[in-house]
Amino acid sequence: MAVDQTNLSYEHPLYATMDKMPGITVATTTVDMLLTWGLKNSLWTFAMATSCCGIEFMHANGNRTDLDQMGSVPRPSPRHADVMVMAGTITVKMAPRILRLWEQMPEPKWCIAMGSCAISGDFYRDMYSVVPGIDTMIPVDVYIPGCPPNGDDLMAGLKRLQEKVEAQRAGRWVEPEGRPETAKAILPALGRVIDRDGTQTERQLRACQSMGLDGNEHRQSDLVAKSAGLLSNLLKLKGR
Amino acid sequence: MDPIFQPFRDDPHYPLDRYEAAADLMLLNMGPQHPSTHGVFRLKLVLDGEIIVKAVPYMGYLHRGVEKMVEGLTFAQMTPIFNKHDYVSPMTNEQAYAVAVETALGIEVPRRARYIRTILAEIQRIASHLLWLSTFTLDMGGVIGGGAAMMMYNFREREDIFDLFEAVTGSRFHYNTHCIGGQRHDLPEGWVQRVRAFLDRQERAFDEYLRLIRNDIFDLRTKGVGVMSADLALGLGITGPNLRASGVDFDMRRDAPFHAYDEVEVRVAVAQGCDAYARYEVRMAEMRESVRILRLLLDQLPEGPICGSKPVKMANAVRVPDGRGYTAIEGPRGEIGTWLIGGGEDKGAKPFRLKIRPPSLHAMAAMSYLLPGHTVSDVVVVLGSLDPIMGEVDR
Ligand code: SF4
Repeated sequence: MAVDQTNLSYEHPLYATMDKMPGITVATTTVDMLLTWGLKNSLWTFAMATSCCGIEFMHANGNRTDLDQMGSVPRPSPRHADVMVMAGTITVKMAPRILRLWEQMPEPKWCIAMGSCAISGDFYRDMYSVVPGIDTMIPVDVYIPGCPPNGDDLMAGLKRLQEKVEAQRAGRWVEPEGRPETAKAILPALGRVIDRDGTQTERQLRACQSMGLDGNEHRQSDLVAKSAGLLSNLLKLKGR
Repeated sequence: MDPIFQPFRDDPHYPLDRYEAAADLMLLNMGPQHPSTHGVFRLKLVLDGEIIVKAVPYMGYLHRGVEKMVEGLTFAQMTPIFNKHDYVSPMTNEQAYAVAVETALGIEVPRRARYIRTILAEIQRIASHLLWLSTFTLDMGGVIGGGAAMMMYNFREREDIFDLFEAVTGSRFHYNTHCIGGQRHDLPEGWVQRVRAFLDRQERAFDEYLRLIRNDIFDLRTKGVGVMSADLALGLGITGPNLRASGVDFDMRRDAPFHAYDEVEVRVAVAQGCDAYARYEVRMAEMRESVRILRLLLDQLPEGPICGSKPVKMANAVRVPDGRGYTAIEGPRGEIGTWLIGGGEDKGAKPFRLKIRPPSLHAMAAMSYLLPGHTVSDVVVVLGSLDPIMGEVDR
């Protein structure tokens, strides 16, 4: 298929020059592989530890299941971290702060929901002060169920995240993890969270409403659209 | 310490405009997300340079509404919820609840079950104090600065303890092993020998810890910091190691025995220093004391049933009649009290009101009395020495 080269737009003029250099694709792919390897083996974690799961997260970073061996070092500041590990119950008072901390993390960033409280609110779900799950506010990449999940579970979760990171960098399709629970069951609780005191941001509201329909399907279709867009851009760029 | 801070130490509500600042006062927020606030806790500090003039603690970032929630649950459903308040000593919290309901119903717990409870509580005390030690040193040294070394040593023993608990209850963390009237799980075969081996290891480890942390810097940072007088501690209702570090010789294990504590001799550790160092001393002494008590208990462990003559198995079988009462046991952080009003929904199958008196909440109240006059870097030392658990503070 012939593409009109004049209409092609590059993000940066350098790309146009690079495109004409012989062998450049080999070099960039190699560099890209190197970057991917580096990124996936140094997923520094920021523990958003609010309660019991935080203690288990400390244990996972302790000496039995040493998470350092996977290159994931716990950092006290969100600005140093790639992965937010939401460990513990999310209360309505804490939720805006969690969102703010998440927004302070530099891209690219991922989120792990650790423990049933972070996934769905556990048995506090129906209480007046508890947010039913972190994915009402933040997109979650890996769910690790348990109360609390132990170090091995956490390690398996990190492994899944590493695979996901690798696939994402390679532009492969990644099946998003479903929340280990249906969205319908938490609808009443969600309603409470939405119209609490009007302090929720646009994004939170949208997330809540999208969950109200069907959490998984919605996000999946979003992702499909996104990746389709990416693909067409890529094809355009390569001139095919 | 400069005497101009004394009025703020006496009364946290002393008006700020009576203070003559050397420079402009500055407002600093610590938390709710801060690596050394032991959970989600916010502290508003008014600073004059680096000196704290006034400190206001804010809590409630982990308020899960448990006391309201349990009003809709039957008594047998509640045990797993109660070990999530104080997630560093889940075992003792469960026991506090079990003791409350048993007292209300007048159920006699078999002797072996009482012994098992005492053993589990003492192991839990060691585990809890170990976590305190690691976070305390972590706060002072920082993860990068070498403070993590202590944590690694402590967590080695804590993992051992988790293994012991897992062998009994099948769970590493939230045990759910107490039922009303006794224990749900008996001790497995060979467990007693494992505990003995663990105690030997633990005793050797204490000397290791001392070699690691005893140095001049540790003394300088803890001695004379966060002085809490006995009057203040008693006035605020502070219990446990924090009270004993202020020179008050009170321990519920000896003075109001529960479980099987009346059958062993408990030597209560008391320190007169009133400061962070004294609190460190008391907790270290308590761990050694726990090892001694555990050896005694394991020697005396009787045979017999672990659940009462009429085991309470059905969820709806437990009905607490109309009436009210307060029971308390000594946890690692102090007195865990339960105020129970019976005769709730469903003919008493659910409580009308169940209030938990957490020791950490009272310790947090001391923050605004202790901090004025100290520098910002002392905040983490004072907070760490009080050993609060936010889940218990907010519930
Ligand atoms: S999932 Fe369980 S262990 Fe984790 S925060 Fe919730 S209650 Fe605590």
